[in-house]
Formats: sequence, C-alpha cells, structure tokens
Amino acid sequence: MTVPSEHLLVLAAILFAIGAAGFFLRRNVIVVLMCVELMLNAANLSFLAASRMHALRAGSTGPSLEGPTFAIFVIVVAAIEAAVGLALVIALYRNRQVVSLDAVTDLKD
Amino acid sequence: MADALFYVMAVAAVLAALGVVLAKNPMQCVLSLLGSFFALSIIYLLAGFQFLAAAQILVYAGAIMVLFLFVIMLLNLGAPGAEDPTDVRMFSRANAGLMVIVAAALLFVMALGIRRAGPMPVDRALPPEGLDPIPGLANEMFGRYLLPFEAISVLLLATAVAVVVLAKRDRRANEGSQP
Repeated sequence: MTVPSEHLLVLAAILFAIGAAGFFLRRNVIVVLMCVELMLNAANLSFLAASRMHALRAGSTGPSLEGPTFAIFVIVVAAIEAAVGLALVIALYRNRQVVSLDAVTDLKD
Repeated sequence: MADALFYVMAVAAVLAALGVVLAKNPMQCVLSLLGSFFALSIIYLLAGFQFLAAAQILVYAGAIMVLFLFVIMLLNLGAPGAEDPTDVRMFSRANAGLMVIVAAALLFVMALGIRRAGPMPVDRALPPEGLDPIPGLANEMFGRYLLPFEAISVLLLATAVAVVVLAKRDRRANEGSQP
C-alpha cells in the first residue's frame, strides 16, 4: 500500500469526531460506551499511522515499535473500560430498570 | 489495488461509525460497530500491522462485542419497540445541531494539526515481516515498557474483582424482600 500516512490520520480524525458527537448526543448508556470504543479505536489508528510514518520514511533504520506497543495497551484499556462500564449498566438496570442517562441525574438535582 | 482497497475500507469504517451514532436500536449499533472494527482491521493489515489486525479481530470483535451483545440481550434492549424514547427524540433536539458543530470544530482542529505535520510520503517498501514484528514487540513490551505492562496487568486483575462486585446481586437487599 502506497497511501501516504496522513490519510490514515485523517481517517482517525473523522472516526474520533463521529465518536465524540455520538458520545454527547446519545442518551443510551450502552451506545455511549460504544462511542467511547470508537474514539479509542481512532486513537489506536493514529498511533499506528505515526509508527508507519516513521518506519517508511527515507532515512529510517527499521520498524518503529512504540506505536504498536501502545496500541496494544490501548486495546487492553478498552477491554477494561467495556467490562466496568457494562457491569455498571447491569447494576443500574437492576436498581432503576433504565439505561438512559437522562434518568440518572441524582447528583445534578 | 491495495490503495483502492484502503479507500473502500476507510469509507466503510466511516459509514459504519455513522451507523453506530444514528441507529435507533442498540442491536443495530453493535452490528455497525462490528463492521467498523472489521474495516479497521483490514486497514491495519494493509498498513503492515499484521499482529495488531489479528488482535483487533480477537479482542474487539471476539471479546468486547460479545460483551456488548450479552448485556443488550440480557436486558432485552434489542427487541423491536424497545428503543429508548429519549434517544428516538434526540435528532429533533436543539443541541443535536450544536453537537454536530462541536464535532466539526474538533475535526477542523485535528485537520489543522495534520496539515501542520506536513506530508508523510512512503519512501520505502514495506518489509515482509510487517511493521510490528512479534520479537521486536516482545522486546519493547518486556524491556522498556515492562512497568506499564505490569501496571496494566494489575489493572486487569482489579477490574475482574470490581466487575464481580458490581454485577453481583446485593444479598442484604434481597434478604429484606424475601420471607
């Protein structure tokens, strides 16, 4: 593939913006968590794009491994976030029978 | 050929991401997100990150998506007519337009940053072992980044305990209601 690395960064930016819009717009807790996953994926893609940029430029001496290493860490953090978030959703549903963020405003009121 | 496939997959990933935000039913959101993950994993493969593409499929599509599907089916949110009324109303709200503007502004700032970084041409051929060779990755992870690795394994253990505590039925509350 000879696509320049900034096209990967542009794709990551678009995915991040879509995820952020969904995070603010949606009111279903599960969909909000999915939008967070989308944003973490965009961050992963930009890590890999930066690594690819360093590895494939003219004076490079080999693969640049910081990007993939941190992408793996981000994947683990995403799994942790999904597990804790969904456990909170189950606890919320058990106590309130709702999954809407509009119904959980105890700290605001 | 590979370049054309990249652009096709990029468009597919963006459309699937839009599907996550715009679909009314949570089940459709999960399936769109799954499509987005698969498109991204093909992009990783094309960019030369073979191990990351496999990890993306295994961890995201295999584990995280199953977790989301499990919770949606457990709470019976995927049933037709089970849509959240506040979510159905969201696009007629005044702040929906505001959020689109915020996302566009975010995108504009990121585009400025990418332009400032300058062109990133591909000068060298992709090495046959890809850009994330497993021995090199292991050297990084168990060498320079050993401390983050250990920290994240402690975090995983703490999460496992926390999830069990959170999702467990509260025994004291049940004793009060049952004779």
